[in-house]
Amino acid sequence: MFEVRNLSYKYPRNREMTIRGMNFDIRQGEIFGLLGPSGVGKSTTQKIMVKLLTDFEGSIYYRNRDLKIYDKDYYQEVGVGFEVPVHFSKLTAEENINFFKKLYKNQADTDTLMKRLGIFEDRKKKVSEFSKGMKIRLNFVRAMLNNPVMLFLDEPTIGLDPANARILKNLIKEYREGGGTVLLSTHLMNDVDELCDRVAFMANGKIVETDTPQSLKRKYGESSVEITYVKGDNLQKKSFEMETLSKNNEFFELVRNEKIVSMHSKETTLDDIFIKVTGVESYA
Amino acid sequence: MPNFLVLLVGELKRMVEYKIAAASVVVALIWIGILYLTEIPDITFIFPLLIFVDATSMAILMVGVTIFFEKQEGSLRAILVSPISKTDYLLSKVVVTVTSSVLTLIVLYIYALLFKDINLSLIGLLSAVILVAFFHAQIGFILSYYSRDFTSLLVNMMKYLFIFFMPTLLVYTGIINHELFDKAVYLAPTTAAMTLLNASTGNVESGDLIYALAYLGIGSVILFVFVLRLFDSFAAREGGV
Ligand SMILES: Nc1ncnc2c1ncn2[C@@H]1O[C@H](COP(=O)(O)OP(=O)(O)O)[C@@H](O)[C@H]1O
Ligand SMILES: [Mg+2]
Repeated sequence: MFEVRNLSYKYPRNREMTIRGMNFDIRQGEIFGLLGPSGVGKSTTQKIMVKLLTDFEGSIYYRNRDLKIYDKDYYQEVGVGFEVPVHFSKLTAEENINFFKKLYKNQADTDTLMKRLGIFEDRKKKVSEFSKGMKIRLNFVRAMLNNPVMLFLDEPTIGLDPANARILKNLIKEYREGGGTVLLSTHLMNDVDELCDRVAFMANGKIVETDTPQSLKRKYGESSVEITYVKGDNLQKKSFEMETLSKNNEFFELVRNEKIVSMHSKETTLDDIFIKVTGVESYA
Repeated sequence: MPNFLVLLVGELKRMVEYKIAAASVVVALIWIGILYLTEIPDITFIFPLLIFVDATSMAILMVGVTIFFEKQEGSLRAILVSPISKTDYLLSKVVVTVTSSVLTLIVLYIYALLFKDINLSLIGLLSAVILVAFFHAQIGFILSYYSRDFTSLLVNMMKYLFIFFMPTLLVYTGIINHELFDKAVYLAPTTAAMTLLNASTGNVESGDLIYALAYLGIGSVILFVFVLRLFDSFAAREGGV
């Protein structure tokens, strides 16, 4: 779907480059996750790919054609979900959706989408009366109103309660099942773990690692067993590597001789990998 | 429905919902109030002046207000990622603005016909208003591109009116009467606008009329091309925030 090569970008008023030579591909039918700490350039990358920022360096190919060749018709087939609300606040939700919908050749069943997201009942309310979460859900409806073949989602679950985040994630998965392709940027590991087929870690305006969540876990993962046991009057903890457990005498000694309080196996989460790869604590 | 019509209808609807239409009705009422308070029964001389103030400043303001609402609410970004050509986007605003000026003119004219003496060509005035409002809608775009917020747009509009309108007005009313100054004001778009509107009274020489028509006609086209060109960098600036 997309081939991005040596993408670099500097905001006109900044001195430093924000994006410094990114390389990645997005394959048709996958959810591609762009992961990285706040301020690393995820939204900037999205803005470049939806042609809001045009004077970038490097090349972007969409369906084997230079992105720069596409005119406004590009938007007939892509959907853009922004991080912040982008509605006419003095119009109702329905008026907002209908206004934009009429601009497209292909029109989605937005009533069903609004019902699924729980904002159908409030469709005749002005958006200014909407809560933050409702506006975010309306953003998603807006992104989907042309049945896009390619969907850009920037932090789609931020500002949603867990129940609505669940619904939204299901909709994203269904969209992929229906053949859609997604570029999803986020700093939340849960979203990536659950949704993404492949994920790219961003650090310093570059991609430092791209893989499936599973093989990333395998690659960086170290699983271990943590044992808590009684030693005198105190509790003590000790960790053993899972891989070498069967040959670890210290482990067997401990299990045989001490009073065990608990035993846990621990696998590296994407969270741990995130910190390792980007060098930044996420706040998932 | 072609996208231009969708934009036009959307623009009209927002004029109402955002109370911009109501504001321009209030302004029209103020003009009626001024006509009402005017002692002289024959208002042929003052009428083009009112229309001039309305068509220039309201055109700048209406274009500016809609753009600033869109910037502020982020809806501009939704527009920028929609299959809309910039020509359609800009022209929809121009058409609404020009229509509003025309409506104001018609309301004022009806009032003048009913309650005052007025002796000028409505057709001439209508054509003049369309051209003047179109031209100043372009000024509105340019000022909006370069104004940080609505307040700074207001200030910039004041500057524009002060620099161009004051000299025009001083010469028009005969307060200043100096050969060099009389010539210099021909450079101002406001003089061309005033001349064109005033032509409806029949008190303008045909040379001046042709000059004013050419100035605003050619000027509008050049400005519109300019506005289209500048839109890309404006969009990159606003879309990228
Ligand atoms: N409009 C802008 N002008 C200048 N700098 C910007 C602008 N938008 C973002 N930046 C800077 O670019 C960097 C990346 O921002 P962004 O892409 O929003 O990060 P992320 O989405 O990963 O949190 C940040 O350092 C931010 O300050
Ligand atoms: Mg972001």
